Amino acid sequence: MKKYVWTTVLGCGLVIAGCSSEDAGESGAGEPVETSDSKTLTIANGTDIVTFDIHDHNTTSTEAVHVNMFNYLLTNEGEEGFQSDLAESWENVDDRTWAFELREGVKFHNGEDLTAEDVKFTLERVANDDTLLEHGNYNQISEVNVIDDYSFEIVTENPEPALLNRLSRLGSSILPKDYIEEEGWEVFLEEPVGTGPYKLQEWRKDDRLVLEANEDYFGDEPKWEEVVFRSIPEDSTRVSELLTGGVDVAVNIPPTDVERIESTEGVTAVQSPTQRVMMMVLRTDEDSVTGDPKVREAIDLAIDKQAMVDSLLEGAGTVTRTRITPGNTGANEDLYGESLYDPERAKELLAEAGYADGVELTMSAPNGRYLKDRESAELMAAMLSEVGITINLEFLEWSAFAQRYQERSFEDIFYIGYGNSMFDASLGLERLTTKSAEGETDYDNEKVNELLLEAEQNMNAEERIEQFQEAQEIIAEDRPQIYTFQLDAITGINDRVEFEPRLNEMFYADSITLK
Amino acid sequence: MKYFLKSLLKTIPVLFLITLIVFLLVRVTGDPVSLMLPETATAEERDSLRESLGFNEPLPVQYFTYLGNLVQGDFGDSFRYNTDALSLIMERLPATLELAIASMVIAVIISVPLGILSAVKRNSFFDLFITGGAVLGKAMPNFWLGIMLILLLSVTFQVFPVSGRGTLWHLVLPALTLGTGIAAEMTRLIRSSMLEILGQDFIRTARSKGLGEAIIVNKHAFRNALIPVVTIMALQTSTLIGGTLITETVFAWPGLGQLLVQSVNLRDMAVVQAATFIIAIFVILSNLSADLIYRFLDPRIKYD
Amino acid sequence: MAGLIIVVTVVLIAILAPVLAPHDPAQTNVVDRLLPPFWLGGTMEFPLGTDNLGRDILSRIIFGSRISLLVGISAVLLAGAIGMALGLIAGYYGKFWDFLIMRTVDSLLAIPNILFMLIILAVMGPSLITLILVLGGTSWVVYARMVRSETLSVKERDYVRSARAIGAKNGRIIRKYILPNVISSFIVIATLNVATTIILEASLSFLGLGIQSPDVSWGLMLSDGREYIATSWWVATFPGIAITITVLGVIFLGDWLRDVLDPKIKE
Repeated sequence: MKKYVWTTVLGCGLVIAGCSSEDAGESGAGEPVETSDSKTLTIANGTDIVTFDIHDHNTTSTEAVHVNMFNYLLTNEGEEGFQSDLAESWENVDDRTWAFELREGVKFHNGEDLTAEDVKFTLERVANDDTLLEHGNYNQISEVNVIDDYSFEIVTENPEPALLNRLSRLGSSILPKDYIEEEGWEVFLEEPVGTGPYKLQEWRKDDRLVLEANEDYFGDEPKWEEVVFRSIPEDSTRVSELLTGGVDVAVNIPPTDVERIESTEGVTAVQSPTQRVMMMVLRTDEDSVTGDPKVREAIDLAIDKQAMVDSLLEGAGTVTRTRITPGNTGANEDLYGESLYDPERAKELLAEAGYADGVELTMSAPNGRYLKDRESAELMAAMLSEVGITINLEFLEWSAFAQRYQERSFEDIFYIGYGNSMFDASLGLERLTTKSAEGETDYDNEKVNELLLEAEQNMNAEERIEQFQEAQEIIAEDRPQIYTFQLDAITGINDRVEFEPRLNEMFYADSITLK
Repeated sequence: MKYFLKSLLKTIPVLFLITLIVFLLVRVTGDPVSLMLPETATAEERDSLRESLGFNEPLPVQYFTYLGNLVQGDFGDSFRYNTDALSLIMERLPATLELAIASMVIAVIISVPLGILSAVKRNSFFDLFITGGAVLGKAMPNFWLGIMLILLLSVTFQVFPVSGRGTLWHLVLPALTLGTGIAAEMTRLIRSSMLEILGQDFIRTARSKGLGEAIIVNKHAFRNALIPVVTIMALQTSTLIGGTLITETVFAWPGLGQLLVQSVNLRDMAVVQAATFIIAIFVILSNLSADLIYRFLDPRIKYD
Repeated sequence: MAGLIIVVTVVLIAILAPVLAPHDPAQTNVVDRLLPPFWLGGTMEFPLGTDNLGRDILSRIIFGSRISLLVGISAVLLAGAIGMALGLIAGYYGKFWDFLIMRTVDSLLAIPNILFMLIILAVMGPSLITLILVLGGTSWVVYARMVRSETLSVKERDYVRSARAIGAKNGRIIRKYILPNVISSFIVIATLNVATTIILEASLSFLGLGIQSPDVSWGLMLSDGREYIATSWWVATFPGIAITITVLGVIFLGDWLRDVLDPKIKE
């Protein structure tokens, strides 16, 4: 019987040991660089993609995956301007009409040819179906007229100077009309078909999404045989995967870990600006304490944004006094890279506003949504208390925050980070027009409103930029939003690949290359 | 058989109550509509969605609709994935079962020998050491242990892969993380059940007959101590599955636990409801079968 | 005994926090962020170092003890009270009440309590009060079960039967005969549960639903500090040690109480 006990224990031990030694050989665990010329690229994201319905999400990280499977008509390359993708050429015919020529010989993953009918199907769907999340960014399109298989015209409701910006971002991918109409959306969502360099091999939700090279791609031959997007929610786990060579690229590296990654052989961390600007949004109606411009200025002056960037973000950000950062049409670069900090003046302003003995305000902030959001809010509250503003901090988990945001029911201040996938000032400033600001900031500046509404439809590009820039100057002085900093993305990269992160945070697999 | 049927019958009101709890938990506490629509949605759009989802009906009506659907196997649709919740859960179940079973195996491997040894050598240094270890294992939150194991065994010594599901090798760290906490609890329980047996009459008789201590422990006590282990294991099912919520998040393990955490965060309540219900059924069944096995193994217990 | 000493010490620390803590636990200082403990090059001003916002870790641990204990103890008291009451009703009055209560217990036991808490806290918003209510409201089942079975066995004892026969009121029987028999097991389980609750609170912090800043608890510190494990280990390690020592103390106390109160009780 004694034997029995020990055989059980030993047996169990051996089973484990046996399995492990066998597997170790196969999986190569513990040998991170073994796969150094593997043609499989592995990217670690913080979240899984939301859906394959390109029109029904508004998530940058999902789009970053989609861009490998689908193509836009054109891409927006910032300084270099718009570049041809599925569209070979385009032309602004009149204020409301744009003519496009499609590239010929493009095939979807199922072998179907791409034609102007597909473009019409895709764009009119998102322009007309108001249940889709991206509807608001496309409903300016009134119709798409097919001229022949490879030419079409897009007609907008009103003059739409930012149409090309709209067509080169999230939701702009062209879908296969026949496939979807014949098979239905359900099938498409399971087995999506695009024109891109990679096609779907497998999607295991919350685990990995595997793409394989599309041999018939119309552009340059895909550089990878396989591209794997893994979803790893826990930051420290993602960093560990990078350090051990489990993944080639890892997103959202906490600033704290940069040094550690840099000092590890075989991996590096790169910082690159993103479109996301963190800001406090304040109520400006007369009944609010923050309705007094002096109070808003005092809040701005009390916060040392550069110190926040230096300490919390360890340098992974840039202070700014505008939301429209360089790389966007209409950016006012004079306001970028600058911030105001003068706690003495802040105290004076508060006294002038009648709050010499201090004042209490409530600030709501999300917890865990943006890089160091909670710590930022805590630090700002501490800085504000130095000048006599007591902040009641209210932290909300994202869903709860989103609900309050929609209801516009925050009290004095809320802290949020806005992105801008359109690379145009119109999207970034729209929330400060009198109509859109209602109930949120209640910002109502006649001049700003006029400038923004005019710029919205101004087909004269230069004049339009000036209008946006002027509006930004007024906003920076008026402070319905107080900008803290533009966030950088910190991406961890295995030395076997070369990769320069993009401003739009997209992961074009083919822009990541083996060294 | 009669006993089995009786136990099964007893679970019916329990299942019924669970549906009620699950329903109330989700429906009374929040409004998923505002999360399902874009932030630009108007009040009318929200109302019409609420209407179409039946959220405007009185709660009892909603509950009976829910119950009716449930009986037909309709657990509602996930708005996040645009698919029915049940198939989503079934897709994830194998990963979680794999993790749970492996964790249990590890917990048994750790706790059975340690529990027995510490009971046999009661109050020795060895016993103190094991008891202390068990308390430590209990005091360490899962996420902490998981992160430490990754840092130590994956990053520093590079023995195991960091995260994800794949080979058996991938299973070791998450199972170890989850198993350790369970093992700590089980060691204590096994120790005390073993102590109880060692104090029982038949052992004393054996001792008085002059049998060696080793024989007593192996032949009599060990076998009898194994019986309650089955029950102890079953009692840990709920803790085990609860633990997957955290362990799966740390290790990016694509199971039910992660699905639940993310569904709660996004208020994908159909999935939350369905998963909670399925988990509850699972826990009840495992308790029931443990009960039966226990009765089967220990003939001293009479069927009532 | 060791358990008692540890627990009394921790409670004293919590009570005397404002006197003991060298700094305001919420005082940030970006210049002195992530300072190591004094023996690793830090200063005696921040003996255990500072966290990512430059707050003194020692002071935060001292103040954190308050919330950790508050949550642990009040949740257990709440759970104990509910469990005691329902367990007595189920065991003593039996029949319908027994059926209803025990089936509810079975249902709740079938749902992992961390899942239960996750859902409620996510939807209701994580405040200190909600946290205590939820922790208490889900863990009463253990007590109810125990109290019921003890009650059932005591109820059938001869002296209780005869007390009933001579017409003693239910309330009196419960107070006089049943409670004293139940109370010792009850205290032991409750003590052990304080430990479980402290750990659960930490796990909820990991999911982002535990104690929220500017309040501070050990669980929150441990969870926040995980980002710094590899670079500034002291941020998370010291609160972790505080949790471990306290849990250890509480469990030892529970074991000791069991031996003292009722040597017969087994788990």
